[in-house]
Amino acid sequence: MPLSAIRTVAKPQNGVGAFILQCKKLEFHYCDWWGSSRGMNAFIKSSLPAFAKRNPSVEISISPRPRRHPVIQAHYINGNQRSICVRGMANELVREKAELLRDASGEKNQRFSKPVTSINESVRGIWSPFHGAQMRI
Amino acid sequence: MKRIRISGCASQLLARNTPRRPSCPYLHRAVAPHNHRIQTRLQTTAATPIDEEIDIEIEAGTEDSTPGPVKAPRNFKEKPLPPSPHPQAAQHSVKLAALRSRLSLHSRFPLQTLARTLVHPSADPNPAFNNASLSVLGGNLLSYYTTEWILCNYPRLPMSVVFAAQYAYIGPVALATIASEWGIEAAAVPGSEVDPGLLQFQRLKSGEKLPSLLRQEVPWKWRNTTTHKIVATDEFGSDQAPVSPHALVNTAVPMEEAAQSFVRALIGSLHLHLGSLLVKRFFRDHFLSRQLDLSSLFDFQTPTRDLSRLCAREGFEAPVARLVSETGRKSRHPVFIVGVYSGKDQLGQAAGSSLDEARIRAAAAALKAWYLYRPIEVTLPSSTENQVDTSRWKPNMVDCGEVIV
Repeated sequence: MPLSAIRTVAKPQNGVGAFILQCKKLEFHYCDWWGSSRGMNAFIKSSLPAFAKRNPSVEISISPRPRRHPVIQAHYINGNQRSICVRGMANELVREKAELLRDASGEKNQRFSKPVTSINESVRGIWSPFHGAQMRI
Repeated sequence: MKRIRISGCASQLLARNTPRRPSCPYLHRAVAPHNHRIQTRLQTTAATPIDEEIDIEIEAGTEDSTPGPVKAPRNFKEKPLPPSPHPQAAQHSVKLAALRSRLSLHSRFPLQTLARTLVHPSADPNPAFNNASLSVLGGNLLSYYTTEWILCNYPRLPMSVVFAAQYAYIGPVALATIASEWGIEAAAVPGSEVDPGLLQFQRLKSGEKLPSLLRQEVPWKWRNTTTHKIVATDEFGSDQAPVSPHALVNTAVPMEEAAQSFVRALIGSLHLHLGSLLVKRFFRDHFLSRQLDLSSLFDFQTPTRDLSRLCAREGFEAPVARLVSETGRKSRHPVFIVGVYSGKDQLGQAAGSSLDEARIRAAAAALKAWYLYRPIEVTLPSSTENQVDTSRWKPNMVDCGEVIV
């Protein structure tokens, strides 16, 4: 065979064609007695239905966790989990934390030293000393 | 004790004698069902023969009642549970609703069908409840849309690269990856009590061999040509014999197999429920948007010979390699830049650490430049489906094919 081909798999680019929210599931744990869940309970009663309606692609479950602090736990498509303890937080703050978890990608936090990363080849190409205007010394 | 006639006690059979099944599950919602399970059988979208199903049920019923010496009257509560979740459970599944929304599917797409696409034939042998037929349809649609996109956009691509590109976009590995990127989770064991939003299949135990169906190879022939592969094998030109999804009933399969059957079945059911236009949009968004560098798929054996054959075929002057520039010929890291010229036209250029390497790389670059030609305006054949006005259609370029050496 003069020519054969190498088998690979096309790489995903979330958001280029379709966007898939990486947060799969949010679990809200509350306690009925402890004061630390007051904000969480208020959030569940007042804001959670609207939150769920705004984010239909996230599976939401609520469960009691008696005699513990309230926790929001998020499950992501890459298999990771993240949880935030929202003890003593007010309704608004709990909503902010839920949105933070919803918007996260599920990857571990890491520092990016370069502002842009790309899988595409650069348009200008790699600089070559053999092309373009030759420098004469 | 007198044997109870099944048709006598089961009034659900009366309902089943309707000659045609309604294709849409929403049509018969107002009808009060005698029995929920049977009612939903009527609601399924499959066009499988009804008689066969009844036969199976009756056989199963008689088997239950015959062996014991004392025949107790049949207790319907002890009836074995169906192997897959009830279609009505799909309405209440949070996972399914979230999945539908995550894939931005139209709310017209029923959750029951989405639940059915998640049931692999290894979990539920009944073709009216598993995704076998849908995945056949979806697989054909996927390969059709991918093939036409590749062939129209890259008309000069060699056949082996076309196969590899197909594999990269819709191959088994690609489909399984796509399913996991959609957030599909698998149920540990399939059953009626499982959440219908989970992928249901009979798992292959760890350390077990693949079922023989999935290991079958295409019968070997000494003249296995590329043309033979186009005709006889699947769309990826692989050596494995294509397996019908219907044949995988009650065989333990790996997760990859079940996940790809789900993706195919989803495409098939989208086609049936929402029409081809939306399926094409879905395909463009989820499959064609993935990044694939076609030039990295080529694996040349003798690019210089291929290039000279190509030039002879196309009537160009014979290719000549010329040194464009060099540095450090006597050093540890020499760099040579060689261009391949046909007459005065440069066909390709590349750098290499020896003169031969640079020449071969330049020939490969020239061949890739030829093979990866992309016409500016392309009309896909499927874009003119169901359209009266054919003036938009412009014939695509058809190339005479790769160089035969």
